[in-house]
Amino acid sequence: MLSAHLPACFFYFLILLLFFKKAGLNFFATLNSIKYFILLLFFIFIARALTVKGDIIFSLYDITITEQSLTEGFLVAFKFFLVMLTGLLFSTTTKPSSVKNAVQWFLKPIPFVPEKRVAVMISLSLSFMPVILKQAKEISDAQKARCANLQKNPVKRIIRLVLPLLKKTFISADRLVFAMESRCYNDDRTDPEFLPSGKEIPFLIGSFIISLSLAWL
Amino acid sequence: MQELIIDINAICHTFSDGYVGIKNISVSISKGEFIILAGKNGSGKTTLLRHLNGLLLPDSGHISVNGHDVSKHLIQTRKTVGMVFQDADTQIVGDTVFDEVAFGLENLKVKRAEINKKVTLILENLNLFHLKDRSPSTLSGGEKRKLAIAGILVMDPEVIVFDEPFSNLDYPGTIQVLSTIINLNQSGHTIIIATHDVETIIYEATRIIIMEKGLIKEDGEPDSIVKYLESYGVKEPCSSKFGLGLQPWLP
Ligand SMILES: Nc1ncnc2c1ncn2[C@@H]1O[C@H](COP(=O)(O)OP(=O)(O)OP(=O)(O)O)[C@@H](O)[C@H]1O
Ligand SMILES: [Mg+2]
Repeated sequence: MLSAHLPACFFYFLILLLFFKKAGLNFFATLNSIKYFILLLFFIFIARALTVKGDIIFSLYDITITEQSLTEGFLVAFKFFLVMLTGLLFSTTTKPSSVKNAVQWFLKPIPFVPEKRVAVMISLSLSFMPVILKQAKEISDAQKARCANLQKNPVKRIIRLVLPLLKKTFISADRLVFAMESRCYNDDRTDPEFLPSGKEIPFLIGSFIISLSLAWL
Repeated sequence: MQELIIDINAICHTFSDGYVGIKNISVSISKGEFIILAGKNGSGKTTLLRHLNGLLLPDSGHISVNGHDVSKHLIQTRKTVGMVFQDADTQIVGDTVFDEVAFGLENLKVKRAEINKKVTLILENLNLFHLKDRSPSTLSGGEKRKLAIAGILVMDPEVIVFDEPFSNLDYPGTIQVLSTIINLNQSGHTIIIATHDVETIIYEATRIIIMEKGLIKEDGEPDSIVKYLESYGVKEPCSSKFGLGLQPWLP
């Protein structure tokens, strides 16, 4: 993706727009929700535009803007933008649990991979992220309340945050093991409700072709 | 004489660091009882409860559930004795409310169609159905606790064990959970609740067991024990203090 050039990027952009339309998402509302990210992209563009060397089109004292720098800057920013859009499209249209079920389905034909355990791990990390983040916030607030922000050494600050967080996470994991065990957890479980629609294989081939044509463009 | 469901016979448990969690405990529990296990922090309530469905095994003595030895029939025991833990956050496994309730049934390899039917029924009974696609981490404390109860109920246990079911709940949350528990007892479930605050449930209870330092100190009917509560570090309910006897907590 990152080695693709301008035509390929536009082609991909069109495909994405198509998907946005199909998913019934408003493209401009989406843009609005990532406006700070776009600001960041703008800075990336400027940084690029000012640093890449080539045929000068404008120069003021030491600041030079070249043709190459403009295209290069635009390209980099545009690529980040596309990656971001793809991610957004994915996360707004797909329920985490369907991702989990799909992963389990795709892993099934692969030997030596316990696909059911992987699926449980995915759903555990999905449901535990918020808990861990909440704990991190609590710890950092508790430390701030005792003026931990006077400590200027960032390494020490991180250590102070990470150690208690790890400890808490381990304790939570311990409790979780108890909770899962008391509900008879084992690897041999009912399959999730994921009905292969029969379109998976054509879809795989289709995305392969799109990637190939992008590389070729 | 009521039908016996859990029989605990002289069990002891010592933790790996040498700390003695519970000592020489013997209790018989009959079907349909509503038991409060009271005692102050660190008295061994949680440790005792974890023995009831085989999460911890005794070093000596034995426990049987429905006549079967717990250590030899773990799955059977865990289906009979459901456990709702102290901390709702760390017992939630699924990434949606529906999946969370389905987890136990999936472990038992129940057919998907039947899982869907049972989970829907339980969610409707507990008034959680409208939340079924929500992520459990976004629920309120009371809803989370009810979700944890739903995840246990769906496995159709005969005995339900609650560890501090009212901690961290506000007034409406407490009412919700309390009335859920009372309904469960009325529909024939045996209830065991560990707590250090007996006020909310003492009226409903048929029996109180008081623990201290890993030992059972008192065991009997609420009326006869209520006056001793404070000598074991558990607050006596206000109504009893003012000579009004035990009063229901629910409005
Ligand atoms: N894994 C462990 N290793 C060592 N000691 C433990 C362990 N778990 C519990 N204990 C100790 O056993 C004692 C009883 O703990 P338990 O959790 O059963 O108390 P509790 O009555 O549930 O208290 P609380 O009201 O605070 O929940 C405590 O003093 C505790 O420190
Ligand atoms: Mg406890």
